[in-house]
Amino acid sequence: MSLRLKLLLLGLATLVLPWGGCQYAREMESALREGEQNSLQAVSQTIAASLQGRTDLLYRESLPPADTPEPLTRGTSGHAFLQSGPYDLRPLALTAAPLLDGYSDDWPHDPSAWAYFARDDRHRFAILTGVYERMLYVLLEVRDEHPLFDAPGTNTLDPATFGDRVWLGFEDSQGEERAVFLAATGPGAVTARRIETGEYGQQSAPLEPRIRGAWQPMSHGYRIELRVPLSMLGNGFGVLVDDRDARGAAPVSYGTLRSDDLHTLGRLIVAAPELTSYLAQFMQPGLKLAVTTPSGRVLARADALGQVTGLGSGTPILARLYRRFVDQPGTRQLLESSAPIYDRDHTGVIGKLEVTQTANRWIRLRDHALMRMLNFSLSTSAVAVTLMFAFAAWLALRLSRLRQASESALTRTGLVTSFPDTDSRDELGDVARGFSTLLQRLNEYTSYLRTLAGKLAHEIRTPLTIVRSSLDNLESEQVPPSARVYLERARQGSERLNAILIAMGAATRVEEAIGSAERVSFDLVPVLESAVAAYRGAFPECSFRTELPAEGVVIRGAPDLIVQMLDKLIDNAVDFSPAGALIIVRLRLDSQAPVIEVDNPGPALPAHVQGRLFESLWQSRAGADSQPHFGLGLYIVRLIAEFHGGEASAANLPDGSGVRFAVRLAR
Amino acid sequence: MKRLVAIVEDEPAIRDNYAAGFMREGYAVRTYANRAQAMSAFAARLPDLAVIDISLEDEPEGGFELCRQLRALSAELPIIFLTARDSELDAVSGLRLGADDFLTKDLSLPHLIARVNALFRRVDALRKPNTPGELVRRGALTLDAERMQAQWDGQVVLLSLTEFWIVHALARHPGHVRNRQQLMDAANVVLDDNTITSHVKRIRRKFQSIDPKFDAVQTVYGMGYRWVE
Repeated sequence: MSLRLKLLLLGLATLVLPWGGCQYAREMESALREGEQNSLQAVSQTIAASLQGRTDLLYRESLPPADTPEPLTRGTSGHAFLQSGPYDLRPLALTAAPLLDGYSDDWPHDPSAWAYFARDDRHRFAILTGVYERMLYVLLEVRDEHPLFDAPGTNTLDPATFGDRVWLGFEDSQGEERAVFLAATGPGAVTARRIETGEYGQQSAPLEPRIRGAWQPMSHGYRIELRVPLSMLGNGFGVLVDDRDARGAAPVSYGTLRSDDLHTLGRLIVAAPELTSYLAQFMQPGLKLAVTTPSGRVLARADALGQVTGLGSGTPILARLYRRFVDQPGTRQLLESSAPIYDRDHTGVIGKLEVTQTANRWIRLRDHALMRMLNFSLSTSAVAVTLMFAFAAWLALRLSRLRQASESALTRTGLVTSFPDTDSRDELGDVARGFSTLLQRLNEYTSYLRTLAGKLAHEIRTPLTIVRSSLDNLESEQVPPSARVYLERARQGSERLNAILIAMGAATRVEEAIGSAERVSFDLVPVLESAVAAYRGAFPECSFRTELPAEGVVIRGAPDLIVQMLDKLIDNAVDFSPAGALIIVRLRLDSQAPVIEVDNPGPALPAHVQGRLFESLWQSRAGADSQPHFGLGLYIVRLIAEFHGGEASAANLPDGSGVRFAVRLAR
Repeated sequence: MKRLVAIVEDEPAIRDNYAAGFMREGYAVRTYANRAQAMSAFAARLPDLAVIDISLEDEPEGGFELCRQLRALSAELPIIFLTARDSELDAVSGLRLGADDFLTKDLSLPHLIARVNALFRRVDALRKPNTPGELVRRGALTLDAERMQAQWDGQVVLLSLTEFWIVHALARHPGHVRNRQQLMDAANVVLDDNTITSHVKRIRRKFQSIDPKFDAVQTVYGMGYRWVE
């Protein structure tokens, strides 16, 4: 793992900042929510308190306490009015007007809202009532195995034509009992008629146009949907079904009206129309108020839940993204609260107020805070990560510079004095300075080692001169012949010693020669040709082949040195070749750089020597002859190659049959 | 009268060995261990030839200084540097100071004596004017083997003894390649290849200082050198 990556990961640790922010936002949200819940509770209690004892407001027809002599005995319904009778109807507070088409699909699906009345198994009906905008809507489903319409086109008052009929009985606003009937000659719209008796006793059935609806057959019966203005209605309301199996037959009557005088048995428990407007004054966007009976039937509601905007399509993408991170699954989006509405004496419950509020308000608050916090902390993180990354990159750059410098310092034999970053005052600078010092010492040591041979040669030369000059003098003295042989051996030994000394000084002299060499432009090809021609004479035991390019290869350099380098390479090649070997001298261009190669058959290079072959005084291979080898030949090759801006290398031939020395020169 | 050879050398064994060798050849020899001794003696009487080591006791370059002083006393006195040092720089400095030859101590005593004899021959030849010696003429080059003197276009080229012998060996058979060993033999020296190369370089430079177009000494790569006319 690179340093850069590590520091990057470290930088990512600053992301704990936004994470903590999210946690904080969640806590803040729940605190807000709690506060909101409390205030909602307070609101609902306030509104409920304002409704305390307002039975008149809650219920359209509030019965005065005197009319309800029953004692308040039991149950949750404190008010006598709310002692529900079996025939009472509690209309739903509808949210939309149902279409008067005789079908139930635009009514709320609320099985508990239905009221059922049955005379026996075959005679029963279900009734659903609802209030919307001062209209009472009635859905009546009558079970009838033999639905029967009136005979068409006949007098509605002719009993012989009577089919199934439905009576509505109600008290009008003056408390007077009235009744209308519904009769249809076929499916479709139906309008109520009322029976009027003229002054002479004649009866007529004029239309009651305010009560209209639709009559549709259904399986095992028929369905009637009706609309009645609430203004027509007083307290009581009931339905009576006249079921006939044949036209004109005596009907089976059952329902919530007394069948003989159509007296209403049940009441219509409906909120006063003013209740909705009363509730409306508390409305604000995102709030829903509902007043229910103690048993939970909604009397009136004011709904502004959908009015809330602000988190719709206009929400910034960023905020939505944040919300996705913060929102816990299952968080309820709605706040609900309810408070009982007491009667005037605070003894009974006359209703219940339910308040619902969308979460949007506090979510918006939270989002705002969250946005700011996340923006801030994320940008802080981004800056921190960027800075850390940049710092890491800078560090890595410095480190890699150090590494490169140290690598090149160790591979080059030249003086290494400059080392990067030694001026920095931090730890890396210390390291660089340490390296620099180390290299300086190493350099001093290697240069000491390199000059050691020369110094040794110099020091040995004086005693050697003593020996040799003494031997020279001894030649002129009278030496017994038996001692001559020792004298001769001493001379041979000193000659060898002298040869060694010359060889030891050779490297220094080559360095000097290189230092003073002049560069000229010359063509490598004829120089190599001439040199190889000379080798053919000098080494008759080997054969030579040249592989030279057709056109000239002009370089800048010292031809003397090049030839000297080639001498060393050929010496080396001949030394390690078997007799009669073919030595190939090749010059080729490798991407414009001339490369001189000398191939010789012979033993392969051991792997461990390859990097060291060109070092001074390195000798790993036993030569074929017994001449002293000091490993200077290849060192000289390297010096000359470097003088020409190139490098020397050695490798085994691909087929393993020999060795190839290559010297790459700069053009 | 015997010729007087002065040997300035701080190593007593070498000094005495050389002295013995020269005396056997019939020279009078005076030996000195350091520059002060030598100079005080030279002030009294100049030797006929001086063999000087470069580093003398506590003076690492005392020989150079001595050479300079001696050259100030006499322009003609043959001076030979004989030193354990073999660096190119020392050789150049020594020859520039007016030494006639710069030899390393690898040289055997007979070789050294041969050179001294040769130098004395040259001194003698120079003192006998108008005596035509054995001359070698190759174009603009005239070599006087007696005086060990080379001329180019009539101008004297100041060559050291080694350099003269190298030129002589090359010019005697123009066009023939002389390898390094042959040149070493001719010059009575044992040198390595680089020293021969630098000698040849110096020779070229000396001729070129007279004639910039001088190109008579040619390198035959891998073999040696030849004289071309």
